[in-house]
Amino acid sequence: MGQRVKILLFGIFIILSQVMAAQQRFPKPEFETGYVQPSPTTPEPRGLAMEYMDVLVLLAVLSLATWFALRSRSRRGILWLSVFTLVYFGFYRKGCICSIGAIQNVALSLSDAAYSISITALAFFLLPLLFALFFGRTFCAGACPLGAIQDLLIIKPISLPPWLRKTAGIIPVIYLGLAVLFAVTGSEFIICRYDPFVGIFRLDAPYHMVVLGISFLLLGMFVARPYCRFFCPYGVLLNWMSRFSKWHLRITPSDCIRCKLCTSSCPFDAIDHPTEEKNPDPARRNYRKFIIYFLLIPLWVLMGGFIASKSYNYLSRVHQDVYLSELLINHPELVNDPDNLDIQIFLSSGKTLDSLVEEARIIQQKFRTGGWIMGGFIGLVIGITLLNQVVFRKREDYQPDRGDCFSCGRCMDYCPVKN
Amino acid sequence: MNEDYKIKLAANTAIVASIFSFIIAMLLLLNYYQLKANDPLELESMELLIERLKDEPNNEDLKQEIRSLDLLARKAFFTSQWQVKTGRYLLLLGSIVWVFALRYYFTSKAGITEPDVAQVSDRTARTISQRWILMAGGAILLTAFLASFAVNDHIRLYQASGVVDDSERTADESIEVIAITESPDADQDTQVAEEPTTAGDLPAAMGEEASGETGAVTARANHNGFRGPFGNGVSYHKNIPVDWDGPSGRNIIWKAEMSKPGYNSPVLWKDKLFIAGGDKSIRIVYCFDASSGALLWQQEVKDIPGSPTAPPRVTEDTGLSAPTLATDGTRVYAIFATGDIIAFTMTGTRVWARNLGVPDNHYGHSSSLIVWNNHLLVQYDSNKGGRLLSLDTATGNTQWETARQVGISWASPIIANIGGDLQVVLSAEPLVAGYRIDTGEELWSVDCMMGEVGPSPAYGEGLIYAANEYARLVAINPAAAEPVVWEDDEYLPEVASPVVSGGLLFIGTSYGVLVCYDARSGEKYWEEEADHGFYASPMVADGKLFAMDTDGVMHIYSISKEVKKLGTPVLGEKVFASPAFSEGRLYLRGEKFLYCIGNE
Repeated sequence: MGQRVKILLFGIFIILSQVMAAQQRFPKPEFETGYVQPSPTTPEPRGLAMEYMDVLVLLAVLSLATWFALRSRSRRGILWLSVFTLVYFGFYRKGCICSIGAIQNVALSLSDAAYSISITALAFFLLPLLFALFFGRTFCAGACPLGAIQDLLIIKPISLPPWLRKTAGIIPVIYLGLAVLFAVTGSEFIICRYDPFVGIFRLDAPYHMVVLGISFLLLGMFVARPYCRFFCPYGVLLNWMSRFSKWHLRITPSDCIRCKLCTSSCPFDAIDHPTEEKNPDPARRNYRKFIIYFLLIPLWVLMGGFIASKSYNYLSRVHQDVYLSELLINHPELVNDPDNLDIQIFLSSGKTLDSLVEEARIIQQKFRTGGWIMGGFIGLVIGITLLNQVVFRKREDYQPDRGDCFSCGRCMDYCPVKN
Repeated sequence: MNEDYKIKLAANTAIVASIFSFIIAMLLLLNYYQLKANDPLELESMELLIERLKDEPNNEDLKQEIRSLDLLARKAFFTSQWQVKTGRYLLLLGSIVWVFALRYYFTSKAGITEPDVAQVSDRTARTISQRWILMAGGAILLTAFLASFAVNDHIRLYQASGVVDDSERTADESIEVIAITESPDADQDTQVAEEPTTAGDLPAAMGEEASGETGAVTARANHNGFRGPFGNGVSYHKNIPVDWDGPSGRNIIWKAEMSKPGYNSPVLWKDKLFIAGGDKSIRIVYCFDASSGALLWQQEVKDIPGSPTAPPRVTEDTGLSAPTLATDGTRVYAIFATGDIIAFTMTGTRVWARNLGVPDNHYGHSSSLIVWNNHLLVQYDSNKGGRLLSLDTATGNTQWETARQVGISWASPIIANIGGDLQVVLSAEPLVAGYRIDTGEELWSVDCMMGEVGPSPAYGEGLIYAANEYARLVAINPAAAEPVVWEDDEYLPEVASPVVSGGLLFIGTSYGVLVCYDARSGEKYWEEEADHGFYASPMVADGKLFAMDTDGVMHIYSISKEVKKLGTPVLGEKVFASPAFSEGRLYLRGEKFLYCIGNE
């Protein structure tokens, strides 16, 4: 392809993308006074073609990240790719749409037949999972803006003790459970609302979210990628997928020579050491623990389900109808408060408190049922995590932990074996 | 450029960038707090000018001043917005430079690190992890479990009528409700005082013959609400003591300290005395043994659907527990400034409770309850409009509700038999009105009252009497074409209600004057001045007038056209509540203590 053709294609693409970006369902009103419309704090709606463009960019970035991690083994390539991701999906696309938040779109579409999920949201949800299933978490390496902004700020990472990592690893599971529960009940997209970095991408956020975002970044200078490791609900799904990945990043391209140079290379403590040759504990004790923990799993599931279902009364308050019902029952005098917009909007709808309470009761019932599933899921994960602690797998090399490894490629640079 | 120089440059760049970013961040924070503290679009001075403009709509200079100030405010706002926007970009730029410089510095300085030497074996680490996972998992589930109990589900308890779901009552409570044996019928054989000859013919015309049910006779034998039976200020009991001394304890049968303040008056049913108290943290209904002063039970008023989490703001001289309780011998009923209304059995078991909506009342709700047969009547006049409710005494369900075109009122209802109709009579601005007790239908109203009405009406000599300070004293014949029979504005009560007995009307003013009128003509017979004002309503019992001033001195007079003072016994502490009477006993609520007075 000649140079001129390339330039021509690039020019056409730029012009078309501007036209498509300008596409709006309703044109903005024009003011004769010279008034300039302020830009909204949430991203402008995109033309459909531009949404597909985002999917293509994601696909390209995922492919490149995979190629850098598995084929060219280039840490530098992954680093610059994450800079691009940060600029494009972070600052340019203002953190929306993202795969992490897409969990909620998918969950809502499964529970609400009236909600139609966009192809883009579905693609953003599925593509990274598919890549993780085959190639490991290359999405975390170079295609996630939330990961990228934290990764670039890792200055002096410290190693966390295993017990802390394992215990804190329960948090993302709970977050995932809550996010799905709130989404399927139509209550709230909490992942988006409490995204600590979206305010930085948009250079605009409520004060407390700015403080939260900056706190995460400052913490991340020493505890590498804290949000990804201990909060990200999508990371839970990627972790599971990546465990089954056929082609995963390897520290060494051939046989490990056990030089141990890579042991301190991973800021995420995601390198598994070779197993000890001698087993100091009698095998019987391990089996006994295994059986006990295995038998405890149904108990964890039942307890989790029961307690989460019982917690419907405070969990359901996230839903606007339940919140408003509680507010009106407890403070009936607020109907006379013209400054309470929630109540004024409700009053203007013409609905009665009785009908609102009825709707709130239906929502609460959903939370009771959903609570069983969510709590059971959390209990199951706790039970399996516990069980995993007594399952020993023999390892002869230093290997990345397939679940926890972000495929960032830092360890590859430390390996003296190059071929 | 050698490597050392690059590292040094990176370090210096990082330092400069960090200082720059820090300064920008501080300026942004300063701007944020400045804008929060003094929002240019919410200027107080602007609001004042706009208020002035309402009074001076044609003041052009004022309009110009507003325009100028508005322009200034908008300029300040947009300048601030520009500063924030520019600051954000500068902060982002500074942070990027800082990050890259810092990364370059640390990457360049980092050498090959020593391989990790495991401090603990993999197996030990896993054992520690198991403990932590178990503890964390348990802690999470336990916390969620406890939290589920800590939060009330008001939606589940909510009913369309706002009444507590019967199914929510505990088994014990249900048993108690069924086990109640006390009833008005049971009191038929209690001693009933002779018909008073001094308190008018109202009670004689009421009761069994009016309703076909028991009630009036039994009510007369007790003191079942504010200002006695029917709320009329007349007691039917005899042998009331006229001499006591609080400080020395003379004729003080017992006294009990009240744990919570309140301006409500004691009510009595047989040997039980009911009273209430409360503050911001708690509201309580107390039951005392009227003979011994022993506290029989006390119940906290709580867990009521719709009850506000924080009580409304009230003034100290009204408080949250100003309305007097009412009892019908089966249950005792209490209402508070929160809008909570509650019923207990005579043994203290909660029967029902609901919230009527927090009354918009700048002093605090103070209208007392009154009960008649199965009607619990609530005068609920607030700044948001007036209404009269009748609640089913057994369930709390609303039997009927009548909207009233009146302003706020602190007065209490009375019951009167007017022209054969059993009526509840209310006083508020601007109406004194009568309502049929079984339907709530307004039978008559007279537009004669004004101001913040505190005194309740009184009935006697076939007339309704209503009064209020800065308004007037009126005698009303509801059946007449010209209902106002007579009126006067010389002495007017602010809080204390009038009382009628023996053809005489008595008024106690808040500035300490006690006045006697001819009830039918309005002719003033006498006036007496006390050292302190009257907040407690004067009451008639045993053929005498008992008027307690705020300093705790009871002024006792004969019911006569001439002044015949029978005594001025002293309680020894301030009193704002009205007295309650039983046979040979007088009960008073002081600021801190509850007293039973009798002839020892």
